[in-house]
This record gives sequence, structure tokens and C-alpha cells, in this order.
Amino acid sequence: MIELKNVTKRYESLTAVDDVSFSVKTGECFALLGPNGAGKTTIVKMLLDFTRPTSGSLSLNGIPSTLAECRQSVGYLAENNHIQPSLSGWQYLLRCAELLDMNRSEAADHCRRIVELIGMQGRENTKVSTYSKGMVQRFGLGAALMGNPKLLILDEPTSGLDPIGIREIRLLLESLKGQGMTIFLNSHLLSEVEKICDTAAIINRGKLLVKDTISSIVKDGETLEDVFVRLVKG
Amino acid sequence: MGTSKSLPPITRITKYTLIDEVQQRSFVVMFVFCALCVFLVRGCYQGNYMVNGQILDAGTIVRTLSKATFHVIGAGVMVIAALLSMRIFRRDRNEGMQSCILSKPIARWQYVMGKILGLWALSTLFMFILHSIVFLITSINLKVFMPGYLVASMLCSINLLFVVIAVLLLSVLMSDIVAFLCVLGVGSVGFVADGIAAASHSQIAQVMMQQPGTGPQSDITWWKVVYVLWPKLLGVQQLASSLIESESNHGIGSLYPFINVLVYCLILGALLFKRFRDEDIV
Repeated sequence: MIELKNVTKRYESLTAVDDVSFSVKTGECFALLGPNGAGKTTIVKMLLDFTRPTSGSLSLNGIPSTLAECRQSVGYLAENNHIQPSLSGWQYLLRCAELLDMNRSEAADHCRRIVELIGMQGRENTKVSTYSKGMVQRFGLGAALMGNPKLLILDEPTSGLDPIGIREIRLLLESLKGQGMTIFLNSHLLSEVEKICDTAAIINRGKLLVKDTISSIVKDGETLEDVFVRLVKG
Repeated sequence: MGTSKSLPPITRITKYTLIDEVQQRSFVVMFVFCALCVFLVRGCYQGNYMVNGQILDAGTIVRTLSKATFHVIGAGVMVIAALLSMRIFRRDRNEGMQSCILSKPIARWQYVMGKILGLWALSTLFMFILHSIVFLITSINLKVFMPGYLVASMLCSINLLFVVIAVLLLSVLMSDIVAFLCVLGVGSVGFVADGIAAASHSQIAQVMMQQPGTGPQSDITWWKVVYVLWPKLLGVQQLASSLIESESNHGIGSLYPFINVLVYCLILGALLFKRFRDEDIV
């Protein structure tokens, strides 16, 4: 589903991603972990062709990430997601649906389902400028789920959410995983990752430290947090 | 690129660009202000103008003034088109619309094309409405019918396309305000140079140049080359305004300004697509 081969990204003298290779299989729930500035968001941006690698290659569904077709059934939620403040949540979702080539009635039906799924009924017609950060995040997640994508790329999906919101997102992701959706998750919330994900990779200073199943990474008597701290500090 | 399937995203991005711009308060204020200004000058058409002791014919006054208004509107809307274009990429980036659109199966060229078409359509419509106000005033109030007026307005839209593409390209390379000022500078230099060239062809200038002591004129200086190759925005307006009264000097030479601006649009458009393809999306 996702494949990175010897990917390196340099910004002048800074190497943000250093010769990283890994793959994520269809139906897998994968977490990319690392401290701030480790290169997680850069990898996500390269997957979506928002930035090009200095060397190496990335592919989604077997198609090079530089081609728009590879994003045919990909949903994406950005870190610090923003939505045009002049729109309402409904208008935003409708635009996302139309951009996926849905006709007006098909898009409206789909948006209604999404609004229900993200628990925003009754608030969808108010302007985004009146929303809290958590609400913006929920609508962002709704936009990512538009068109029933096969692959969901989420960059800090619980950013700005309260504990109840975080739990709801986790339950939603678990249900999506149950439906066979491939999930690529960038998160700092290691306890949540441990609950949802099957596999994880830890990167630090652009280098891949480990990539394996959660059960293989976390030994008996340890938590993912312990492993993370040990690998990153060590 | 170029299949029928690539059209819907472009038309949708064009539609959203139009809607988003029209909903901006600054756009509405600009539009109302310009429409009022054009409407209020209608009194100028009906005055009694006297030249060398002779009262001018009303039809001549209307034609002359409506031509002048045509040029003022054409130049003014170019400035407005530059203002609208200069912040479009930055706003889309800040409001998350750029990453939202480009995370869908939409290519960057489709996004840029949608933005260009949206801004071009909006500024052309803006100019067409202002020109239509003049056309309606002269046709209904003053009974002077100039069928070429609206055709001329459409021809001038090539200038707006140039301004939109140039500002979008420069706004990717430099800050928005500098991009705006650069394009404004290019337009102003072109207008002044064309004005000087027109004046130098006047009878008085010809006589002055033939007087002894003015020195021999060099054949082709590099200034002349620069002048000929400079974007001919005023030239397009003059070509368009010649349509207002169906002036018949439309040889290949008179089409040069249109071809000049069209070539600039193609070159700058290609540079914009190439530059945006390599741009990092934040």
C-alpha cells in the first residue's frame, strides 16, 4: 500500500529524512513515531507529493507519489488542520466531496453520513470561524473520510481534542480499521497508538530506528513509551 | 493532461475561486465604489463643450469621453486584478485549502489552472460590467449606440489574463506586495513608453526632430528593441478602442500588441506551472 525506498530529504544543510525505507501493507494500522523535528511530517508531505525527496522514491498503491492518481482513494488530515473561516463545516465537506467528482446529491448524502460519523450534527451549518480547534479537527477528519478512502493518512489527528474527543477518535479509528481501511498515523499519544496500531516505526533526527509490529517492539513489562524514550534518548 | 476527466476539478476550483473572491468584503467595496464612479461620470457626457469658440457636437463628445472612460476602466481593472491575484496562493495556503485540494487526486497544474481561470473570469466580468454601465448610459440616455464597445471590452480581457498570470508567478517567487508592485511597474512603464511613442509621432514632434541641431537619429537602438518587446498593454487597449468606432486600420501590424500580450501570457503561464510544480506545499 505504502512504500518508501531509501528516501532522503535535505533542506540546505539540514537532513530532515535520512535514507528511510519501510512499507505499510494493506489493512494495516501503522504509526510513525518520533520526537518533534524527527521528520515525521516531512515523510507524510512526501507521501502526498507536497514536497519532493532529495533522493529515493515513494509510492502509494504501487503508483509513484508524484502522480496525482496515487491519491485516488487516500484521505488526509493535516497537523494543525485549517479550514477556510468563511465557510460552514457543511460547505467545507461539500467542497471536498465535489473535488472527488461526486455530483451534488451524492455529495450531500455522503456529507450527511460524515457529519453523523464525526458527531457534529447541529453544528455543521455554522461558520468555521466560530468552531473550536477540536471541532475544526473533527471536520478535517470528516474531509479525510470523504469518498470512503482505502488509505487514511492522519498527522496528529487528536491535536486540540479533549480526552473525550480523543477517545471518540480512537473508537472511530478502531471501527475504520475493522472495516479493512489502511491507516497511517503520525501521533505523539503513545498510549493511544498502542491501543489502535498493529505496527509502528520510530524515527529520530531523520533516521529510522525501528520498524516492527507493536508486540515485537514492546517487550514484556514495558510500555511503548518506555521503548520510545529508550530508543530516542539512547 | 488534457482529457475530459481533468476538466471537472479545474471547473470546480474555478468556481470556488470566484465564489471566495466575491464573498470578500474588500471585493464588494471595490466593486460598488468603481460602479458608482463610472455611473457618476455620466454628467460629463451632457455638458456643452466649446473648442476654439465652437460648440462641439454631442455625439463627438459622447464618443470621445466614452473612449477615455474605456481606457480608464481597462487600466483600473488591471490594478484590481493584480490586487485580487497577489494574495490568492498565500490565503489558500494559510486557510488549508491548498493542502486540502492537493491531497485529492488533483494535479498541481489543474489547481493553478483553476485559480488562473477563476481570477481571469472574475476580473473580466468586473470590467465588462463597468463597460456595460458606460454602454447603457450612452445607448439609453444619450442615444449614441456603439456596438463595438462591449466587444472591445472582451478583447481587453487579454490584459487581465497577463496581469493575473504575472502576479501569480511573482507571488510564488517573492512577497505579495512586491509581486503586485512589479507588475504595476511593468504596466506603468509600458503605458508611459507607449504614450511617449505616440507623442513622438505627432506632427509637432516630427517637426522638432527635423530641425537642425537635433542630431542624426540612430537606426535601431536596443531601447527600441526593449520598447517593441515590452508587454503592450496600452497597445491592446488602443486596438480594442479602435473597435468601438469600427476604425478600419486592422492590418497584421495593428494586431501586434494582442499577439505580444498573448505570447507573454503563454511564456509566464508555462513558468508559473513549472515553478508551482516544484513548490513545497505547507
